[in-house]
Parts: sequence; C-alpha cells; structure tokens
Amino acid sequence: MITARARLRVVQDRIAALRRAVLTEVEDINRLIYHILRGGVVVSVAFLLFGFILAGLTGLPLPDHSTPPRSLGPLLVQFTPAGFLNLGVLVLIFTPVARVLLSLLSFAEERDRAYVLMTAIVLTNLLISVVLLA
Amino acid sequence: MATVEVLLLLAVAAFLAGLAGSYLGIGGGVFLIPFMTLALGMPIKVAIAVSLIGVIATSSGAASVYVRDHLTNLRLAMFLEVGTTFGAIAGAVVGILVPNVYLFLTFGVVVLYAAASMVRVAETAKDRAYRGGEGERPLVKRLNLSSVYFDQEDQGVYRYRVDRPGAGFGASAAAGVFSGLLGVGGGFIKVPAMNVLMHVPVKAAVATSNFMIGVTAAASAFIYYSQGLVDPSLAAMVIIGVFTGTNLGTRLLVRSKAADVRFLFAIFLTGLGIAMAARALGLFGGVL
Repeated sequence: MITARARLRVVQDRIAALRRAVLTEVEDINRLIYHILRGGVVVSVAFLLFGFILAGLTGLPLPDHSTPPRSLGPLLVQFTPAGFLNLGVLVLIFTPVARVLLSLLSFAEERDRAYVLMTAIVLTNLLISVVLLA
Repeated sequence: MATVEVLLLLAVAAFLAGLAGSYLGIGGGVFLIPFMTLALGMPIKVAIAVSLIGVIATSSGAASVYVRDHLTNLRLAMFLEVGTTFGAIAGAVVGILVPNVYLFLTFGVVVLYAAASMVRVAETAKDRAYRGGEGERPLVKRLNLSSVYFDQEDQGVYRYRVDRPGAGFGASAAAGVFSGLLGVGGGFIKVPAMNVLMHVPVKAAVATSNFMIGVTAAASAFIYYSQGLVDPSLAAMVIIGVFTGTNLGTRLLVRSKAADVRFLFAIFLTGLGIAMAARALGLFGGVL
C-alpha cells in the first residue's frame, strides 16, 4: 500500500515537473518577446523626451528630416535635439527587427527547421530593404 | 518646422490612433494619414513616413501586452510575415515612384474591399473556437499553426483550428504591399483575413495582426528614414502619443466581448470605406 502510494507520488511529481517545463518554456519566449518589444518602445520614448528637453534648454531648432545612421554620431556627441530625436525614432524602427532576431534564436533552439527558414526569409527581406533601398 | 500647436494636436491624434489601433489590431495609419493631410495640411509623403513610425509604435506597444497574455499566435504570425515582408518591399519601391493620385485611389479601393469582406460574415468567432484540431489542412498541420488562447471574457481556454493557409498568406502579401505603398499597417486587411478566411477567433486575430504589422512597417519605415523623409519631431510626438494610447487600448481588448470587437471592427471598416469613397469621388479634382 505504501509502495503503491509512493509510486503514484513519483508519477504525479513527474507529470507536474513536465508540465512546469513546458509552461516555463512557452512562458520564457513570451516573456522575452514582451521585454524586447516593451523595452524598445520605452527606450525610444526616453530618447525622444530627452531630445525635446534638450530643445527646450538649448533653444536649438527641432529637426524636420531624418538623419541617416552613419551621420548621426556627431549630432549625438554635440547633444543636439536632432541627434536624440533621430536616435529615438531609429530605436523604435529596430525594435520589431530585434524581435524577429529573437524568434530566429528561439526556433533554432527548438530545432524547428521550417520556422528557422521562414524567420530567416523575413530577416533577409528586412535586410534587402535596408541594403538595396536605403 | 512644425509649430507647437501642430505637435500637440498630432500627439492627441496619435493617442487616439494608438487606442483604436491596439483595440482593432491595426496600425492606426488609416486615422493618422487623413488627419495629417486633411486637418494639418501636410504633404502625403510626410504623412506616410510619420504614420509608418506610428504603426511600429502601435504594434510594439500593443503586441508586447498581447504576447504576455498569450493572445498572439506566434507561429501564424511568422508564417504570414513571410508574405507580408515580400509585399512591403514591393510596395515601398512602388510608393516612391508613383504619383499621389494613385496612392489615394488605391487607398479607397482597399478599404471598400475590406469593408465588404467583413460584413459578409455573420458567424461569431466563439462558435468557431470550439472546433478542435481535426480536419486541418496538411500545411497547417505541418507548420503547427492551430493554437490555443485564453479568453478573459468568460475565463475560457479555446483551441482553434486555422483554415485556408494559402488564402491567408496571399492576403498578407497584399497587406504588405499596401503597407509599404500607403504607410498603413495593413491590419484592416490582416484582421479580416485571419478572422474571416482563416477562422482565427477575433481577439487572437487582433493580437496576431498587431504583432505582425510592426515588422512590415519597420522595413518600409527604414527606407523612408534613410532617404531623410521622416520628420523626427513629428514622429516623436506620434510615438509618445501612440504609446500612451496602446496602454489603454490593450486593457480594453483583453476584457471586451469578442462580438463587440467584431462589431466595432465592422463599423470601423464601413466608416473608413465611406470616408475614402467620398474623398475619391468628391475631392479628387481640387486636392490633387
């Protein structure tokens, strides 16, 4: 009787452990995506607010056109509103891209070939637009 | 350079666009572009570039919450994104080359088509959600597209089957073209495509659409950005406004009844269709 109960207990524990493992795996990737997307927007908003504060403090004009990433460095070093407003916009643009990169890693970890391929195609398409058209 | 009044007006409009966009699974570009061109008198290409940024903000802000709450179908999103990103590149290339008159014309046609396709279906999403995973198409089975979601409306867990993967893929590609072409998220095509064609429950369709539109818009937005076409000051106000709006919109959707979401979506599409038709018929000569 006692051994039967102990065995049942072992089986129940195993089922519970398996369930936890499955749940945490799903939970992990969802959590990560949540933090990437949320974090991207929050960081972007922080840069933008900083840009507006700089404009208010320095009286420098607000920009009316975007600055390509390669020319952004000097604007940032000089602490211009244009630099930080552009940076905030750029961070936001790259937030979904970071999310796709993360998806690629998670599908690769699951060894899910079809989805690794699809995610790679999506990333390639994003790269094509950046490289060919930018 | 934009005046302070214009910037504040834009932030308020962006708040509303983010609220509606996160609730309906759309980017909110369909609200922002007309507002910027008609109310603020901005050129269509400036409006498109800024709107694309707003779409990314809506998507990222709303999708984060929906992913955390397990409303989003991550696999379905990735499958449809393949089509969408191909379409978006094509759309953005065409958008810089074609004259404005075609942009407006395409806008009107797309909206009317989406309105008609949503009105045709009377069945509620909940009815469909009860059907299990049997009778799946081979592609759906192979890609494991069917999924489960938890509905706060009645505390129920629903397993749903995804149908017609091919049609959904095609619609997503078309949505991608229009996203790149018109600076909208394309959600007003994706939500009906998933809900009506692929039989995904409406809340899951809204969440998945919201998740996808950011990627589509990111490709197009970067193209506009690197050509200097994005006004960072306007974009900044839009991002801040939209982000605030999505925080409210996501809370509303999670608690809403599925029937209400579909009803509001149908109203949205009808209103959009009428507005665009009126513009195309009445104002074409004067404005363009």
